[in-house]
Amino acid sequence: MKTIITDFNYLAAKTLDEALDLLCKHKDDDYRIIAGGQSLNTAMKHRLLTPEYILDIKGVADLDYVRFDEKEGLKIGALATHRSVELSPVVREKYEVLREMEENVASIETRNWGTLMGDLCNADPAVDPAPPLIALDAEITVSAKGEERTVPAEEFAVDFFETVVQPGEMATEIRVPPLPPNTGVHFMKYSQIHGDYALASASVLITLDAAKEQCVNARIGLGGVGVTPIRAKKAEEVLKGKKITDEVLAEAARVASEETSPISGIEASADYKRELAGTLVRRVGKEALERARRA
Amino acid sequence: MSEYSIIGKPTPNVDGPAKVTGEARYTIDMTLPHMLYGKLLRSPYPHARILSIDTSAAEKLPGVKAVITGKDTPGGKWGLWRRFRELSDQQALATDKVRFIGDPVAAVAATTEEIAERALDLIEVDYEPLPAVFDPIEAIKDDAPMVHEDFPSNINATRHIEWGDVDAAFAKADYIREDRFVLEAAHPCAMEVHNSLASYDKGTGRLTVWTSTGSPYFVQQNLADALKMREGDIRVIKPHVGGHFGGKNSTMPDSVNAAILSMKTGRPVKIVFNRDEEFTTTEHRTAQHMALKLGLKKNGEIVAFEVKAMTNGGAYTGLGATTLYLTGTFITMPYKIPNYRYDGVRTYTNIVWGTSIRGFGSVPGKYCSETQLDRAAKDLGIDPLEIRRINAVAPGYTAPGQYTFESCGIQPCIEKMAVRVKEKWPKIEQDEGIGYCAFAYMTGGIFNWIDTPYAYSSAHIKVNWDGTVDLYSQAADVGQGHNTVAAMICAEELGIGLDDIRLHMGDTAHAYTDLGAWGSRETLMNGNAIKDAAAQVKQKLIDIARMKLGENIAYDFVARDKRVFLELRPERGVSYYDLVKDAIRHNDGVPLTGTGHYTPHNKGMISPAYAMGIMAIKAKVDRETGHVTAQDVLVVHDSGQIINPLGARGQTEGCIHMGLGYGLCEEMPMDQGMLLNPEFVDYKILRTRDMPEIEIMHVPTYEPNGPFGAKEAAEATIAPAAPSLANAIYQACGAEFFSNVLKPEKVLKAIRAKEAQNNATSQAKK
Ligand SMILES: Cc1cc2nc3c(=O)[nH]c(=O)nc-3n(C[C@H](O)[C@H](O)[C@H](O)COP(=O)(O)OP(=O)(O)OC[C@H]3O[C@@H](n4cnc5c(N)ncnc54)[C@H](O)[C@@H]3O)c2cc1C
Repeated sequence: MKTIITDFNYLAAKTLDEALDLLCKHKDDDYRIIAGGQSLNTAMKHRLLTPEYILDIKGVADLDYVRFDEKEGLKIGALATHRSVELSPVVREKYEVLREMEENVASIETRNWGTLMGDLCNADPAVDPAPPLIALDAEITVSAKGEERTVPAEEFAVDFFETVVQPGEMATEIRVPPLPPNTGVHFMKYSQIHGDYALASASVLITLDAAKEQCVNARIGLGGVGVTPIRAKKAEEVLKGKKITDEVLAEAARVASEETSPISGIEASADYKRELAGTLVRRVGKEALERARRA
Repeated sequence: MSEYSIIGKPTPNVDGPAKVTGEARYTIDMTLPHMLYGKLLRSPYPHARILSIDTSAAEKLPGVKAVITGKDTPGGKWGLWRRFRELSDQQALATDKVRFIGDPVAAVAATTEEIAERALDLIEVDYEPLPAVFDPIEAIKDDAPMVHEDFPSNINATRHIEWGDVDAAFAKADYIREDRFVLEAAHPCAMEVHNSLASYDKGTGRLTVWTSTGSPYFVQQNLADALKMREGDIRVIKPHVGGHFGGKNSTMPDSVNAAILSMKTGRPVKIVFNRDEEFTTTEHRTAQHMALKLGLKKNGEIVAFEVKAMTNGGAYTGLGATTLYLTGTFITMPYKIPNYRYDGVRTYTNIVWGTSIRGFGSVPGKYCSETQLDRAAKDLGIDPLEIRRINAVAPGYTAPGQYTFESCGIQPCIEKMAVRVKEKWPKIEQDEGIGYCAFAYMTGGIFNWIDTPYAYSSAHIKVNWDGTVDLYSQAADVGQGHNTVAAMICAEELGIGLDDIRLHMGDTAHAYTDLGAWGSRETLMNGNAIKDAAAQVKQKLIDIARMKLGENIAYDFVARDKRVFLELRPERGVSYYDLVKDAIRHNDGVPLTGTGHYTPHNKGMISPAYAMGIMAIKAKVDRETGHVTAQDVLVVHDSGQIINPLGARGQTEGCIHMGLGYGLCEEMPMDQGMLLNPEFVDYKILRTRDMPEIEIMHVPTYEPNGPFGAKEAAEATIAPAAPSLANAIYQACGAEFFSNVLKPEKVLKAIRAKEAQNNATSQAKK
């Protein structure tokens, strides 16, 4: 195995406009965007990627933000690191689930360098931020010079290590709507070692009616159990309109695990991961329900 | 006043400031003027004949200064088993055939690492793939491919150990159980990869090699064999070493090829393995099959024990033959086993080879025997701690023809454990359990496979006019803290401070021989040599002090707190510094010197001394995910007189980390000889947050063979971690394991198997 990165041309942008100009110019070249480099460097060292151009966006300060307003909710710029999301007071106050998620992403060193957006763009199927963002009904903005589109979180990854982002484009912002009242959301990943990639992960959002009896809305995001993170829509239907009991949660868990299509690996078989996803949905769902009741 | 002024006091590592400030130089940090970078081309096949190699394109690449293949090497074979030349089976570059994926076939030296790596792509090797064998049970079959032509049935080494009358004892046993186990391999994962810098001086014909090794002496011997040179023309220097863990005893192709390339080019050459090479081509803890048969009396007393081991040796020998032997001995400790038989076979196979990783054979064996003992205890209705107490040996115990425990605190360790467990864990929750494992381990091996004519350890001391002491030895600090221990022993014996000591360690040109850091030998063996050297100097100082003070020759002196004084009249004494000046003046200006040495004699087959103790782990199992959490670890350790409590604690924690990794997550899955997880993304190591709380208690004994009564503290506690954990899970939920690496899926399956078994039994009862 080779471990020396092959030569490339290095270009850096300091503003979003500069970045989009560069992307436009090199649209047809063999290029890669680099943000924190935490995933890209490894891929290049292993020569899985040998780009001719590296477009460095790490210095694009206008995309380094975590903001909130009551109407539009949370906005995370593409250059916000995992660590800044984790430590953001508004995330702590309004989207506790994102902080809980961040605490178990890799190690502090990696979270200091790695951006949340870079994690999503790297599109490992077990990427941690995806399930909670799916559950939270987040959208991702994808920009090109003079253009912009938004994509729901569950549609962002399209295959193993592949996203909707096209040549000439970059992902610029994650937008998370404000949580409706009576809503609880939770996330858990399972990995044998702390801070490791998940064997499976699940995030469940539950919104109860005013009486806090019936479930009026549910969203479930799963990670590590398919070629991309997935939304377990059928399992959501099991919860919706019901008074959620342990039996209902167990049924939703069973349905959710049927919605997965995991792949066997060194660490665990597909069967194990499928069952694990169900177990996580049940446990996470129970906590989300408790939180919705307390909300 | 405590007995010692330095020994036994928590002492920060003497190398600590240099290491934490980044000033400490490791081989990997070194460069020399005009240095070239070397790279090895490695076989993609597990077993293949080399038909031809074309290096012409690589040679033409600008920046390439030399390309060599097997025919360009001096052709000497080497190995640590030098005493038995047929086991010296390593070579610089394969000549006729390759024996594992990663066996080197060519080497390049170039002006940059990039060019060297690109040159590798330009070398054309024509291979004829041969059938390969990957499992020891397959390897010994008649029709198995032969890894080495002169080793029929691929048998690299066998070991037989026997005492008592095993068959008769089994015939009389009240209870017998037999279990079979499969143990997975694990990699030592030192942070500093194998790397060497070689510089050959064409004018003098002498070679200097800096390398990340546990034994500069072994490297010097092996280089002499490989290069067909006189060892005296080779100087090996061990700078700071970034981790050893048993993986740095053998001389590897980095140093040998760097040396050959330096001879060819006349320039210094450095070879650094990358992490992938480190995982796929350097030594690991051997995978093996084991079968155990245990015979007990109803009261739990062991009457007979029979062990069979078949290890997946891999392509070369390393220290695998010794590991095989030690698997058969450590598995008996620290128990009275009146009748014992062991048969071990190490097979050659077409994978990278396994060797003496930390714990040297104790780790796989103890996993089997201690989990088996728990099942036996349960069947007989005996408490797991009690069955260990009943069978634990007493001081002076001898295993016939094998070993004797002189100091031996195992019984008090078990008693202390029984008390502490009750205090610490008064209540055990649902799905929690406590698992135990008793253990013992050597303090330095009595083995001379390297065939040294020298003392096993030596040290030389020079005391200068100002009282500073230069201490010279080839002994190796590899991160385990030996430099600190060496300085402490020297300072204690001379009655001076650590700040008076200057260390000059690990250089074959400047110091007498020490065999290096393996088998937990440095504290005892090098410690004894240092103490011997220091005692000689001390005696000279006492002689001068006696003269100066005109004291009665019957009075005893002590050296302490930088003075030499009368033991019973401490106020009557002389400053150490004044004495040194006088001594040098009296000696025609020659600095005071002492040369000490140590070689064990009449100490059995294994070691002069054994550290021992018992471990308990409280663990919890998640019955739905199969996740195992090691919550809390308790160790009661008889490590003799602890030299440096800080170091001992660090080593014990490190052992537990490595031992739990062996039990939980570290593994080396292979497919047709190809390692599937050769990087840290996939090779799982426990992180800080995965580590349980560790409480360490000591039962100090005085070991007559150790310096100041010391025994080892760096390896004994690795073996008990995984079996204690597996036993805790067994106690928690009855799940049984016949293999290490309790990955969640495996645990879940074992729990379900147990539940099915329980259901079947209760159905049958209805
Ligand atoms: C040791 C380690 C452990 C890890 N453990 C976890 C874990 O437990 N959970 C987890 O979720 N992740 C984990 N990761 C992944 C880590 O979170 C990501 O590597 C990191 O967040 C990526 O961000 P970055 O800024 O470093 O991206 P880079 O490495 O710079 O880029 C990653 C990829 O995204 C592309 N990219 C980056 N930004 C954009 C953009 N704005 N628009 C379009 N494409 C873009 C790049 O071209 C590249 O292909 C781990 C990584 C390491 C090294």
